[in-house]
Amino acid sequence: MTHAARYSGEAVQCSTIGAFQIERPALSMIDPKRVLRALAEHWTLLEPLCERFDAGTLSLIELRNQLAAQLPDSTVVEITALLDQWIRLDILVPVAKSPNRFELNAQIHDFLAYLRREHRLGLCLEIEAYLRHLERLAGYIQDAFEVRDAHDLTRQLRLLDMRVRDVLKKLGNDEQALIAVAERAKTSDRQIPLRQRYAEVLATWDEYVEPMIQLVAADGAFEQGVYRVEHVLLRLLGEQQRLGQLVDDDLLLRTHARILEMQTSAQLTLRKARELLLPLREEARRHNAVTRGAALALSVIRKKGLDAVPQAALPLFSRPQSTFLGSASQVEAYVYALARFEAKPAHFPKASGKRTGDSPRAPKTAREMLDRCEQALPLPDLMTWLLEQEPEGATDELLYWFSRLSRDNRFQRDRLERRQYLTRDHEVSLSSVALVGRPSA
Amino acid sequence: MNIDLKEMTQLSAIFRELFKGYHLSRSEPECYAQLTSQQDQYRALFKALGFELVCDPRGFYYFVPEQMGAQVNKTAQRLALFTFILVEHLADQGRDPLSVLDGGSIGRDELPALLDKYRDLFLQAEVTTHEELEDKVIRRLTQLGFAEDSNGVYRFLPPMHRFLDVCLAVQHDRDLAASLHSNNLPLPAPVLIDDDSGDPIISLDEAVEESEDEAMARALAEERAAQEHDV
Repeated sequence: MTHAARYSGEAVQCSTIGAFQIERPALSMIDPKRVLRALAEHWTLLEPLCERFDAGTLSLIELRNQLAAQLPDSTVVEITALLDQWIRLDILVPVAKSPNRFELNAQIHDFLAYLRREHRLGLCLEIEAYLRHLERLAGYIQDAFEVRDAHDLTRQLRLLDMRVRDVLKKLGNDEQALIAVAERAKTSDRQIPLRQRYAEVLATWDEYVEPMIQLVAADGAFEQGVYRVEHVLLRLLGEQQRLGQLVDDDLLLRTHARILEMQTSAQLTLRKARELLLPLREEARRHNAVTRGAALALSVIRKKGLDAVPQAALPLFSRPQSTFLGSASQVEAYVYALARFEAKPAHFPKASGKRTGDSPRAPKTAREMLDRCEQALPLPDLMTWLLEQEPEGATDELLYWFSRLSRDNRFQRDRLERRQYLTRDHEVSLSSVALVGRPSA
Repeated sequence: MNIDLKEMTQLSAIFRELFKGYHLSRSEPECYAQLTSQQDQYRALFKALGFELVCDPRGFYYFVPEQMGAQVNKTAQRLALFTFILVEHLADQGRDPLSVLDGGSIGRDELPALLDKYRDLFLQAEVTTHEELEDKVIRRLTQLGFAEDSNGVYRFLPPMHRFLDVCLAVQHDRDLAASLHSNNLPLPAPVLIDDDSGDPIISLDEAVEESEDEAMARALAEERAAQEHDV
């Protein structure tokens, strides 16, 4: 284990656990069997700890409490012995500069994450760095072939193959991590705002998928790098046929096949990422647009009134019409009332009699008023116009016409400042409107 | 296209609902299932009868009316306003507006707070009391198939997307946004009543303080006097 190797050469390193001094043996290598046996034996204890360690480091007391909760029958000494064993095997390592805090050895953590199918999304930059390295290796391969160094050529081809495997492993890991990101977003609490719920999705898109799209694009670094490496390998194959074999053709062909596999895998990972995250990202964007749209509409309504919302945007639907006829008792009551109907005797004025007052005027129809109003456009003040038209009109009638005309769709209106108007009987305070013309279509 | 009326077992129910302005969605499983399975036949049949059936891929059906009356406009405005308010209210509360309006629900007990908070806006839609909110907004939503009332819990149905689309349309309306942010508004903003001022919309200087009974008695006396006068 590399972590263990860090301690090689150190005489003794100590960790303090409670009252005990635990000596860290200076070993060049930890016996893999012992590590694997400890992991297998203590898996039920380690698995919950993995989740805790995913969130950060743990203090010695927290570790003890966690283990004590899982092992209620164990004594303090037994728990100390267990922790001691994990530290000796390098499963647990002290946090730098905080000797009383511990974390899982990064290698062990990765191994356990792999076993638990938990994947952390890497960086797109890592893939780009790998690609640059592959290009450099292709250069070394070309150099080794030119100087006819078969040993170096084999070594560089092997390195290239291992690097490609690293990229493949990373792409596979990233794909699993992307699936987990999408799953977390979909399954988290639907009551919390979408922006929070999909924060990880949006961040993943911006930090991983978008750069990956650039990277894997036809003119991106990935495709360019793959093309260069592929070109070197194919040229090598041709040259070997012409100049004689320096390495086995199969090695070249295998490496070439793996390069192509890497290229396909990158494109598949990207496609998968887009399929998984794009709908969620669009949903989040739509959510933001809906919230912004609602806020904008409310601002406009506050400033300009309900009519300011574009009519064209409003949904059309039929007027809810009831086909309900009423209950039997309602119908019965109605028929009964009809049967008992008695008309009041009408009092017609005597032909000879004199009329008191003016002859009553026929009530104006809405159409008549609308036409008159339309002909008089533009009206700087509707209420003033109404008062001029109907100086003897009753207040309620004038207010009715004001309400009716000011709301009519055929007029474009400007709201005026509140002021007083004198009708025949009252003083009315209201914000009148100016009718400036027909609304533009 | 062959239209077999025998296969359209839900035709009368579907037509009755759609004609009323109702939006059919999964809340009416039988009608919805048949519309989905025989979408083309129903659309062709209704088209021949002069009705345009809209099949929204988000899971609802409705008729497009030929022309709108002023009342329908008002209803659409009211329901749109309610949607805007609900989206903002839920977002303010840290809840997800889309998950509520797309299949989620709100309780009747949430309405009074909503009315208090947005009283000035509801006033513009002529909604001033809780009863009016229930009658002019919630009842309309349920009548038109946008929501369903289940013992005081209002569950929103897929047709609510029509109002969410209004939010999106407003968001994309650059002219509207520009006019809002412009200082020189083409339309001066109406003066809204301050809730605390107690200033009525229309004030009559003749303060008539009479009860309903008094008003009735006065009206009867006037009527009697008029009749006597005529005689």
